[in-house]
Amino acid sequence: MTISRRLMERAARGLATIPLLGLALAAQFLSIPAIAADTLNVYSIWPENWARPMFEEFEKATSIKVNFVRFSSGEALARVIAEKNNPRVDVLFGGPVETFAAGINEGLFEPYKPPSFAALPSRFRHADGQWIAIADDPLVFMSNDKFIKDNGLKAPASWNDLLAPAYKNMLQMADARTSGTAVTRIFSILEVYGRDENKAFDYMKKLRPNVQLYTKSGGGGTLPVGLGQAGAGIFFIVDALDTKAKGYEVTISFPQEGIGTAAEGIALIKGAKNPALGKKLIDWATSPAMQNLFAKYKINFVPAHPDVALEPGLAAVLKGAKIFAIDADYAGANRKRIVDRWVAEVLNP
Amino acid sequence: MTSAIGRPWASAVVRMRNDPAVALAVFMLWALLALFVLYPLAALVARMMVDHGAFTTAGIAAVLTDRHQIRAFWNSLLLAFLVGIAGTAVGFLFAFTAARGRLPRALLTAVDAAVLLPLVSPPFTTAIAMIFSFGPRGLITYDLLGLKGVTVYGLTSTLFSEVLTYFPIAYLTLRPLLAAIDSNVEGMALSLGASRWRVFRTVTLPLTIPGLANAFLLLFAASLADFATPLILAGNNFPVLPTQAYLQITGLFDLRGGAALSFVLLLPALAVFLLQRYWVSRRYYVTITGKGAGQTPFDSIAPAVRSVLLLACALVASVIVYFYALLLYASVVVALGANHAFTLQHYRVIFTDGLKAIRDTLIIAGFAMPLGGLYGILLGYLITKKTFAGRRTMELVSMINYALPGTIVGIAYLIAFNDPPLELTGTALIIIACYIFRYGPTGIRATVALLQQIDKSLEEASQGLGAGSGTTFRRVTLPLILPAFFAGLGVVFIRSMTAISATIFLVSISWTLITVKILENITELSLGPAAAFSVLVVVIVFAAIAVIGRVMRFFRAPGAMPTTSLLGG
Repeated sequence: MTISRRLMERAARGLATIPLLGLALAAQFLSIPAIAADTLNVYSIWPENWARPMFEEFEKATSIKVNFVRFSSGEALARVIAEKNNPRVDVLFGGPVETFAAGINEGLFEPYKPPSFAALPSRFRHADGQWIAIADDPLVFMSNDKFIKDNGLKAPASWNDLLAPAYKNMLQMADARTSGTAVTRIFSILEVYGRDENKAFDYMKKLRPNVQLYTKSGGGGTLPVGLGQAGAGIFFIVDALDTKAKGYEVTISFPQEGIGTAAEGIALIKGAKNPALGKKLIDWATSPAMQNLFAKYKINFVPAHPDVALEPGLAAVLKGAKIFAIDADYAGANRKRIVDRWVAEVLNP
Repeated sequence: MTSAIGRPWASAVVRMRNDPAVALAVFMLWALLALFVLYPLAALVARMMVDHGAFTTAGIAAVLTDRHQIRAFWNSLLLAFLVGIAGTAVGFLFAFTAARGRLPRALLTAVDAAVLLPLVSPPFTTAIAMIFSFGPRGLITYDLLGLKGVTVYGLTSTLFSEVLTYFPIAYLTLRPLLAAIDSNVEGMALSLGASRWRVFRTVTLPLTIPGLANAFLLLFAASLADFATPLILAGNNFPVLPTQAYLQITGLFDLRGGAALSFVLLLPALAVFLLQRYWVSRRYYVTITGKGAGQTPFDSIAPAVRSVLLLACALVASVIVYFYALLLYASVVVALGANHAFTLQHYRVIFTDGLKAIRDTLIIAGFAMPLGGLYGILLGYLITKKTFAGRRTMELVSMINYALPGTIVGIAYLIAFNDPPLELTGTALIIIACYIFRYGPTGIRATVALLQQIDKSLEEASQGLGAGSGTTFRRVTLPLILPAFFAGLGVVFIRSMTAISATIFLVSISWTLITVKILENITELSLGPAAAFSVLVVVIVFAAIAVIGRVMRFFRAPGAMPTTSLLGG
């Protein structure tokens, strides 16, 4: 009994010293690590396995080191908004242009026109230089080979093919509240129906029973389709080709009526600590210097700069596909109303 | 029990003046709570209500009158209620079997390990395993049972997954409590002629009620705050509020609306909390009186019942083990579902590209753990055993960060600590503070539940003999509540390794976390590295738990607290 009591006392005394020790050690974390002057801080919306090689190449070319964290577009934007009074990063890298459009409304960006500005088609740049496109990303249909075979179907070649009863509860695609992929998809459907909103929404309502799940992120449904948990879906080409590259047996196809594409952007943060370095990254990313590297690292984006040739493999996939650009002004002016209508009439009828 | 609930304010102040140690501790805790709970919340509310310099409630009103959000609100309550009931039941089943089943030591350790598995990995791993197993092409539904057209998304699977994920919290709350019930009381009832069932119903169960209430509250709150599981499993027909709030912020970039939705969630959390306090506080539970003699072990459950209990536990445990075996398998094949060739490539990836995240996570968890554990028992002790002005309020405030959805806590911290002089974003401290004040409440609840079983006479004897309240706490109360300390500390460490909802907003260029990497890998479809990271987390946490268990065994006093193998010790 005495021994155990002594043990307990020792335990109690030991415990009492923990806070002191903890506080002493915690104090060293109070200081923010000093960041070298030639280091650039970036939030990347591109996944790490694409962003990392790009930034390494940038460092090789300019000896500017890039510190980066990867976030999905919504999370990245929420952070930049929260940090507005004291920005932590200099550049927002990658991500669909509509994310940047939302950022403009919050006054997050510093307009900047890099040397490539004049060479870019108007849909690849914001008129004032609030954002510049670094790549283009068309939508595709992606279907699971086994599912298609088991149901005696062909890879979908028309928007109407997706209405077939065999797809009942077997499609996955993104949720328009959270995903730029979904917004691009809905505007594609609107274009297909000549911007007749009622007809387009009739189609989406007819499609609804076939949709098993509207996913949070644009690529969220690719794995289920790869695994056969879902039969088919509508995705950006980068995500679809990535699924195929992982070894999943899927087929990529395009609707004969046409399908939309969305640009990926880059922007300088207003109040950035290293604006000069940030501009250098924007110069580099919007030029052929970076976009020529897409092929080397198997990044299946379509380059935005007109001087960069399309990688042959990607060109073969896109051959014969009818792809149209989404009119940024029209989409920007109607986005909120269309998404609200989609939520009310399609998602939660 | 605290007999001084209605004591007048003035006398409380007098008491405090006479007890400087308590006064100092109370003052320090209030300062910390103000800084890390109230201030961020206020900063968030300010950001929510002020639009370009003008006061407005338009954004909030729009969100709150939306019929879909109202539906999501009721869905959340339904889900949280069901998770609370089912999770507490399963947790009690395991805790009772472990404490009273007289299991062989090896089996007990195995059960503990299986129970702790869901607690020690990121919440969405269960959800992903569910989809693999029960989807239209699920390993179980399609490959095994040959079912077609199965839908995995909805209430049932969300409930199933959340119960599996959170019932260990109930287990951790109830296990020490059941172990602490003086078995002599049960033995006496039995020898007076009561049947085992009657003993269970009229002695054991009533003694466990504070614990059951606590467990229900913790599970209710956990479910109410969980966005990851519904995000993957709830589908489109069962929207819940935490996910809606998360989507509102990350998808629609609507900080105001998202914050408003979360504040709606705070109301039911608060209601359940107050109900529980009122209910529990009317009962008197003392089994450790200081007058006790040695314990006489006896069989409190019949052999047949024991077999049924064991079978039920084995069934739940095997589901868990199956889920995690699947995870392990996914980490060593090239691509699950496509290429099942063996590879260690995913582990190579996490130990090269992911090494920084692993190091950062361990450092942060290492600091959060002892501080969180200490915070838990200190606050729990003060609010249960001491009388001071604002005691109830302190308890309430301490629960806020736990009850709020993590997304909101994360955003609130980000807004509150971004500008000088409180410029903490980008540091490890902001993540550590977030963990302490978000997961410390588990330790608080455990301490409160345990202290309600300790008779005040023990401490009064100590104080009567001239010891100050500091000495009494250190030498009498602390050893008695050590199990709660380790439970609290364990939960803080585990959550530090596995949490994501709040900290996804707090990671920075300087400090990142494993869980953020996992989510990132899942969204990048790199299931292999995600699984490898998850397996690593499980291994690290199990190692830590084994160490804690060993330390506890070292300090355990024979006859004082039979806390056999809490946390797998």
